[in-house]
Amino acid sequence: MLTIEKLKDYGADVEEGLKRCVNNQAFYLKMVEKAAGDPTFEKLLAAMNAGQLEEAFEAAHALKGVYGNLAIKPLYEPVSELTEFLRARTQMDYSEFITVLKSQKEKLDQLR
Amino acid sequence: MGDFNYPGKLKRSVLIVDDEEINRMILGNILEENYEIFYAENGARALEILTERKVRFSLILMDLLMPVMDGFTLLGRIKQDDAMMNIPVIVMTSEKPAEVQSIKLGADDFIAKPYDMPEVILARCERIIGLYETRSVMRSAERDALTNLYTREFFKEYVRQIDGNESIAEMDAIVLNIEHFHTVNELFGRHVGDEVLRKIADMLASIFDGSIWIGCRPNADYFYLYAEHRESYEDVFLGLQQELAQFSQIPRIRIRAGIFQNVDKLSTVEERFDHAKLACDRIRGDYTKNISFYSKELNDIDLYHERLINDMDAAMKNKDLIVYYQPKYDVTTETPRLRSAEALIRWKHSELGMISPGDFIPLFESNGLIQKLDHYVWKEAASQIKKWREAYGKTVPVSVNVSRVDIYDTGLEKRLLDLVEENQLSPNELMLEITESAYADDAKGLTEAVEKLRERGFKIEMDDFGSGYSSLNMLTTIPIDVLKMDMKFIRNMNRDEKSRKLVELVVEIAEFLGVPLVAEGVEEAQQVETLRKMGCSIIQGYFFSKPVPPEEFEKFIKAELDK
Repeated sequence: MLTIEKLKDYGADVEEGLKRCVNNQAFYLKMVEKAAGDPTFEKLLAAMNAGQLEEAFEAAHALKGVYGNLAIKPLYEPVSELTEFLRARTQMDYSEFITVLKSQKEKLDQLR
Repeated sequence: MGDFNYPGKLKRSVLIVDDEEINRMILGNILEENYEIFYAENGARALEILTERKVRFSLILMDLLMPVMDGFTLLGRIKQDDAMMNIPVIVMTSEKPAEVQSIKLGADDFIAKPYDMPEVILARCERIIGLYETRSVMRSAERDALTNLYTREFFKEYVRQIDGNESIAEMDAIVLNIEHFHTVNELFGRHVGDEVLRKIADMLASIFDGSIWIGCRPNADYFYLYAEHRESYEDVFLGLQQELAQFSQIPRIRIRAGIFQNVDKLSTVEERFDHAKLACDRIRGDYTKNISFYSKELNDIDLYHERLINDMDAAMKNKDLIVYYQPKYDVTTETPRLRSAEALIRWKHSELGMISPGDFIPLFESNGLIQKLDHYVWKEAASQIKKWREAYGKTVPVSVNVSRVDIYDTGLEKRLLDLVEENQLSPNELMLEITESAYADDAKGLTEAVEKLRERGFKIEMDDFGSGYSSLNMLTTIPIDVLKMDMKFIRNMNRDEKSRKLVELVVEIAEFLGVPLVAEGVEEAQQVETLRKMGCSIIQGYFFSKPVPPEEFEKFIKAELDK
């Protein structure tokens, strides 16, 4: 089960995320839970593996907004960087991004 | 302005448009305490909610990148729709280029992503809503709902703004009025009247668009225009007149225009439009003229009139307004005998000198001040009769003018009786002159009032007989004691056969009615002779004397006593 402490240890800027949720801890945790279960993450990975940069951009952009609002920094930071490459439709090797995102997402999932 | 609390606990409604549920919920969580929140997951759904019009939204918060319909498309649709364009839109974005495009499409503000802190978001929402509501209140005060022209106060302000622009040289102030507009309302109904006003506003816009102009409807059927100078307005207003007659199906509808060309920019806005209105009102009822230009001369007359109005009270107090007396002689005897006098007001102005009664009497008649002046004359005349009687033991009855407004004054009878009593006169010594046209206007009401006075013993003279339009039938029923012939007839009597015939006719009418006939304006011995032969009994005019001040009049009394 997600807790504030676990998220703090994970690296989320809990203070910022909570403020945005008007300091409602239950609401914040519910939103993080929802974000962790968002299928957009899987869509992003699938689109990147298939080299579909436009779809990948849309998914990354959406995730960036959600992770940013909840201040889940370990996911927000790599996804922000990725969004900019994808926005420019940069042809490059995205495997490193995929690895980082996958490992950070797994860590988050283990907290649930 | 600024604090627009809705009555009671009713919250304003806000629409949040974002494809990410989490974002919608976070935002909703921030705003829900202060607002009623509605959600849409894309632009198309938002548009559906907005066009349903079940909710009146005070604000829309929208994301830009969304499936189905994105934020840019939605924003464009909202800002081009008359019903939705007045809802403020805040765009949520983290990208600068998107901000520029949003502004071009009409976005009012931005919220960054990740979201700013809740208090910042709340403050922005509140500010934008307040701004829009202030603006809409201002708009409704700024425009006349019927014609969409400016209201008076805003019009004045915009006139000043135009004046502040030095590249605009010459401007004209124009006042338009519809002649007998109330009859349009009465005959065809208020909605037709409103249509006519709207149509005029539309036509003015099509006439003046393309030049610098602003318009206002200060009240009822008046229009004020401030427009770039034109040399000629004939075509403009003739066209307007014709189109309006055709549109309204009222062929006699008529628009009057008063124009103050090349306004003096140092004058106040009120002064300019007062001037134009003066020109406009000057041709009221004159069907030969549709346009009247304000001029220096007109202004001088206006100022002169204003001065006379202002000075009237002081003139009565200082006795600069003096009652003169013109004798009336009975010519039925061998030597003419002083029979009575007519009181005539003269104004010896302390600064302007002698002022012609033709300058101030019609003016005071037009604004009701004549009543005050009449009261003054009555009072002076009554006390003069008493003075002469005390000095010479002889009563000279004096006739005074009774204006139309006096007749409808319910206090008239008492006022006259009080005067008579105060000066120990008998009512038949203060004779009352009523002009013929007053009879013609409202014969019934007047007849009743006059009958009452006669019952009290007052004598009524019908003045200016022949100048009005009395029907012969009316003459047989109206209550009068003396007929006074219009002086025009006398003037031409010995030169013009027709005038002489008319005088004969009036003499016969007086005989028929059994009342004495007074001829005024008699200047020559020959006229006196002619009138006497015809059977006219009383004569007044320069032949005997011009109107003179009371001291001078005494010589006529003395002469009479010696006879």
